[in-house]
Amino acid sequence: MISRLYDDKSRALVAASIERRRADARGLLFRSLLQVCLLMTLALLAVLLLTVAFDSSEQLTTRLWDFLGGTLRSQSSDDKLGVHQGIYGSMWIAIIVALLAFPVGIGGAVYLEEYAPRNRFTSFIEVNIRNLAGVPSVVYGLLGLALLLNGQFFGLDRFTGGRSTLSGGITLAILVLPIVVITAGEALRAVPVSLREGAYGVGATKWEMIRTQVLPYAAPGILTGTLLSMARAVGEAAPLILVGAVTGRLGDNPGLFEVSALDDRFTALPIVITSWTQQSGRDVGFATAAAAAIVVLLVLVLIMNSAAILLRNRFEKKRG
Amino acid sequence: MSKPDRRSANAEPASSCTENPEFSIMRSRRRFRSQLILTAFLVSFSLVAAACSGDDDADDAATDTSANTATTADNEPAGSNDAPVAMTQQDLSAVSGEVNISGSSTVEPISIRVAELFEDVAPDVSVTVDGPGTGDGFQLFCTGETDISDASRQIKDSEKEDCFNNGINNIVELKVGVDGIAVMTNANNNAVACLSFEQLFELIGPNGEGASTWAQASPELPDAPLDIFGPGEESGTFDSFVEIVLEDLAEQAGVEATTRTDYNPSGDDNVILQGIQSSDTSLGWVGFAFAINASGVKLIDVDGGNGCVTPTPDTIASNEYPISRDLWIYVNADKAAANPAVVAYVDFYVSEALNQAVSEVGYVPLTQQALAETAQRWNTRSVIS
Repeated sequence: MISRLYDDKSRALVAASIERRRADARGLLFRSLLQVCLLMTLALLAVLLLTVAFDSSEQLTTRLWDFLGGTLRSQSSDDKLGVHQGIYGSMWIAIIVALLAFPVGIGGAVYLEEYAPRNRFTSFIEVNIRNLAGVPSVVYGLLGLALLLNGQFFGLDRFTGGRSTLSGGITLAILVLPIVVITAGEALRAVPVSLREGAYGVGATKWEMIRTQVLPYAAPGILTGTLLSMARAVGEAAPLILVGAVTGRLGDNPGLFEVSALDDRFTALPIVITSWTQQSGRDVGFATAAAAAIVVLLVLVLIMNSAAILLRNRFEKKRG
Repeated sequence: MSKPDRRSANAEPASSCTENPEFSIMRSRRRFRSQLILTAFLVSFSLVAAACSGDDDADDAATDTSANTATTADNEPAGSNDAPVAMTQQDLSAVSGEVNISGSSTVEPISIRVAELFEDVAPDVSVTVDGPGTGDGFQLFCTGETDISDASRQIKDSEKEDCFNNGINNIVELKVGVDGIAVMTNANNNAVACLSFEQLFELIGPNGEGASTWAQASPELPDAPLDIFGPGEESGTFDSFVEIVLEDLAEQAGVEATTRTDYNPSGDDNVILQGIQSSDTSLGWVGFAFAINASGVKLIDVDGGNGCVTPTPDTIASNEYPISRDLWIYVNADKAAANPAVVAYVDFYVSEALNQAVSEVGYVPLTQQALAETAQRWNTRSVIS
């Protein structure tokens, strides 16, 4: 058998491929194709950022502080025009998402990965969570509408104040919950078996093993995933429209940390951007304002992502 | 770059951190990252600080206004032109409360502009305005969620029925302005003086797709190049034009109620105007309030079935000119009776401030007589039945 293999023409083939000229034309082609892909992505991003930065300069260079402190107005030339109400809404939505979706999602993931038995039922649940992560965001808006606004369920609408920042935050928390469960699950799965076995080996209980080994090791991965999902929540507009985000005029302009305004009518940066883009048909100056609002939203998301990286690096250092 | 890292990671399997080659790559990039993070955080802190301070300014401005209404007028920026309104109003700085408005996105800017002018005389009243559409607005209005509903058409019987069934019986209907659209061509174009709705549908409707001369779209029109300029889909003027001129004819023709796609859309009325000026046989449409002040263009008469009518402020205000429609607000009188903020706001709405707001946001203001009628209706709370 073996001798036949040696005698076979496969031997000649192997010899030929070792000895032949090493010009790897296809490999080079593949590599340059990949580079083109990357370049295209970067070019599109650069075009987007440049146009937005260019369009927004009129608002951001001449009246940056007024713009950040201002409100929704009917005319783009108004001195009080600005995104403060949008920043308030988006910031608190992010906080509510962090408070609600992170503990519940991470908890669910720990149970699924560490405690739940591996059977058909749990894999059915996992498949469903993955499907939920792919459900269009408008559907979650409808869920929020039924759950938090129409008062069909446990009078939740009285707690949230109906069309409010709270309702928006809770709706988006539900929206990102499946994503949090999935990313946290992936991070937990990446914990090496040797660590778990080592912990068991020195007599740790399951709870001790999870607390001292699994969670600290998985923390950077969990954090990255959850904070990326928060960035997604901050960028959503469609579900917020369904739970009553205001596009036209919001009477109040609460201070950034004025918690008492959480059950009032609200708006958020993506809503402000949508609304101003639409109004640019009537008053062309709103196109500039919308671009400036996009820059503010980008900076907000950038802050969140850099917070994620900073925290992850801290955890990684701890993990040593 | 990544290859040596990968190798060193494999060489030290004992260290728990390097088991995953990704981590060592990350570490080598960390310095670059930490610089990035530093920059991001500097930006973030300045942003938060700015947002806070900006808000303080707004609060200060509000207190100033409430303390002394008369002097605020001097502090106002030159552009906003609120002074005459603020002067003629009674002192409303003590009134406080909330006013909730929803409804037509066409009327939305009027209600917002009025609220902005109102804010200067009654700073403690919080007016929230939303614009999901006339129908959606009435749904909220008839369940008692809103105090005022904006509408670009009159309330339907079925909607009235809804309101009455929910115990909302006292509704005051107020006409606040007129939405008129002018159809224009170049001032040098003497061949076309009047167009019927049917011709407009043939020229601008979806069936006109591909027609590059007037004659191709509509046989009895001259054989001259057709360059169409109009507002883009995001514009309320686009929607109004489709609803008033094209919708019925599109339904009869069994096509989608929209315009042809091969015209030159723009969000900027000035760009539309320049387009029309650039070609001798151009065609276009913009809001009437903008068109009336334009030069180098000719407003075309429109025949909506009752003969050609020239667009003038009078023919639009009287709805004689066919591409015009009245804009309305509906006030829940019971809610107004219970909420002084609503009364103060609507009082202000039907005053002189209305016509200022209407023309500022690009619609045709009511005639003095119509404005007086509107005020009369409100003052007597004449409800619809």
